[in-house]
Amino acid sequence: MTYATSTLFETTPGYRTDYYRSFAYDLIKRMNTTEDEWGTNSVEYWEWTHPEYNYNTYYWPNATDPSGLYIGGFRGPANIMWTGHYTLMMTLYERNFHTGEMTDEITWFIDDWNNSLLTDGFGNPKDGGIWGVGLIPCEPYIVFAQCNSIPIFCTEIYDNLYGTNYRPMWDYGLNFINTVMQNQYGLFIDGYYVSRPTSTYYNPDRLPATIPGPQQDLYLRDGTPKVSSYCDAWALDFLEYTQPEETAHDYPIFLQHFRKDLSGDMMYIVDTYTNTKGFGTFDILGSLFTLPLAKQRGDFVTRDRVLNFLMSLFNKVWSDDGRMMYVDTSSLEPFLESVLSFGYIWAKMPVTIRDLGDARPTDFWNYPYISAADDDYIWVYQAQWDPEKQGFILNVRVDQTATLTFSNFQSQPTAYLHGVPLTTLTASGSDFTLTLEPGIYQIVIVEGV
Amino acid sequence: MAEESRSVSSVQRILKILHLNGAYVAILTVVYGLLGALIVMALLWLPQPYKMISIIKLGLVPALAVIAVVGAIRGPIAGFVSGFVGTFMYDLVIRGTIVTMGLTAASYGILGFVVGLASYSFENGRFLLKLSILSAVGLVLAVLVIVLTGLTVEGYAALVAIAYVLLPLLTTGLPSVLFLTPLFARLWFEFAKRFVPSALNR
Repeated sequence: MTYATSTLFETTPGYRTDYYRSFAYDLIKRMNTTEDEWGTNSVEYWEWTHPEYNYNTYYWPNATDPSGLYIGGFRGPANIMWTGHYTLMMTLYERNFHTGEMTDEITWFIDDWNNSLLTDGFGNPKDGGIWGVGLIPCEPYIVFAQCNSIPIFCTEIYDNLYGTNYRPMWDYGLNFINTVMQNQYGLFIDGYYVSRPTSTYYNPDRLPATIPGPQQDLYLRDGTPKVSSYCDAWALDFLEYTQPEETAHDYPIFLQHFRKDLSGDMMYIVDTYTNTKGFGTFDILGSLFTLPLAKQRGDFVTRDRVLNFLMSLFNKVWSDDGRMMYVDTSSLEPFLESVLSFGYIWAKMPVTIRDLGDARPTDFWNYPYISAADDDYIWVYQAQWDPEKQGFILNVRVDQTATLTFSNFQSQPTAYLHGVPLTTLTASGSDFTLTLEPGIYQIVIVEGV
Repeated sequence: MAEESRSVSSVQRILKILHLNGAYVAILTVVYGLLGALIVMALLWLPQPYKMISIIKLGLVPALAVIAVVGAIRGPIAGFVSGFVGTFMYDLVIRGTIVTMGLTAASYGILGFVVGLASYSFENGRFLLKLSILSAVGLVLAVLVIVLTGLTVEGYAALVAIAYVLLPLLTTGLPSVLFLTPLFARLWFEFAKRFVPSALNR
């Protein structure tokens, strides 16, 4: 949801009220619900401390030897499936809203990854880091290309935001997924075991004959590594910022092996090409992750056809006033219900994950922007400061009389509608307000009367 | 000599049923098919609202009725062409793809072909009922071929075939061909009677 809505926020960079910021903030807080506070309703419980997983007591190199390096713990070094997403969510928040409130926590995780990837965990330099593969595991005994693509992308944004150079700490791991963790077609395999799991929660048929080694295909059972569409689509999408050639090369191969055409309108992505006769959660996930990847590759034919497939069995439900619509996915399991709803935004926003990799220019934070508004009464289609022409472009639909507050104007601004002065904005402390009656407006606001 | 004559006569009968008995007739048949294909393509391109009630998709697909009507007007070849070319061109031009080597599009041609095998009088209610029933038969055959092609050639999952292909096509397609086909046929009859009466001379 954070990644989908971050692309939404990017479409109106000059509209940064609490309406968007609070939503992003709440998602981060929900991601970090701890067992101490929320018990069995916490992310920590469901993602890590659930007794069936047996993740908490883990040591390296021998999982059960307490004299080794402790790698258990929700926020510990071997839980990249949570630390990666959590940190990227915070990093996107800082990229989009620039409050500084999360910078220290982001930095803590970046330093922790740096320690895991470049040392033996005790601070002694070591090629490939703690686990020798240049990647960070989850669960905590297996590394995935897709899970590591998240902190890699996060590190790129962090470097761009704060002028650091942490990205090379991933070089070893990128080489590992581009060479070792590949199948016969040159696509990423699904997972690579770096130690033997002690959990009985997962299917032992996935284990390779020797560890370290690749996760096994569940259908062929002949030593073939497992490959899944959701893994590849996800990794190719988030890694395109870092290695665009790899994604450009792999994308057509990915489609060639995973696509299934139903009609001109619809296609879907199978979970794995070794089991095309099955259909379930992971086929839906594979299709879902293909949406942003196809969009990012400029393949709107595939994007639209996959989106039609995903949405075709669900009704669109509109509010009485016609202001809101949601796709009713309540017949799905809860895990898929919300992500599929956000799949529409994920697919349709004219902004890609790759676009979010670049930080905003330093001057951006001094540009005039909408800092508060009667958000429930307006639809903002375009809101951004044009630094060349020194004007704020605002395309907005107003359903009820609404006031918008602008910050960062240095002198009295005037709003122009179709080139004709509409009104001067009203001073309010250091800010200026603009009140609009119901209607559709294409406004340019410039300083001066 | 008599056997040869019978054979020629049966070929002529088949050509007549197919509306291919003579160069002019054959060209006209293809023209009907292509005009039908254009209408099918345009109708498929238009948004088609629907409502899901559990796994039942409620809605109408007028393009299916057009395929059937073209078959009823000008015979099986015209019906097949309108279904096949209309769907193929829609997939290619509007959706930018060719689905399963064109086999899915060809399956839609079956609907028009089956309907076109019989002859009808559009001013007669009983013939319209016959048209309605044969359209449903043609649609069911077409859908079965689409599903079989999907399961064997394309190789998609049986659950996908049922939930995303079979059920939606039947639940929207059957009402479309049962109700819209006789309606469109009657409208065509009224139109042709007034503007192109020669078109009614089958």
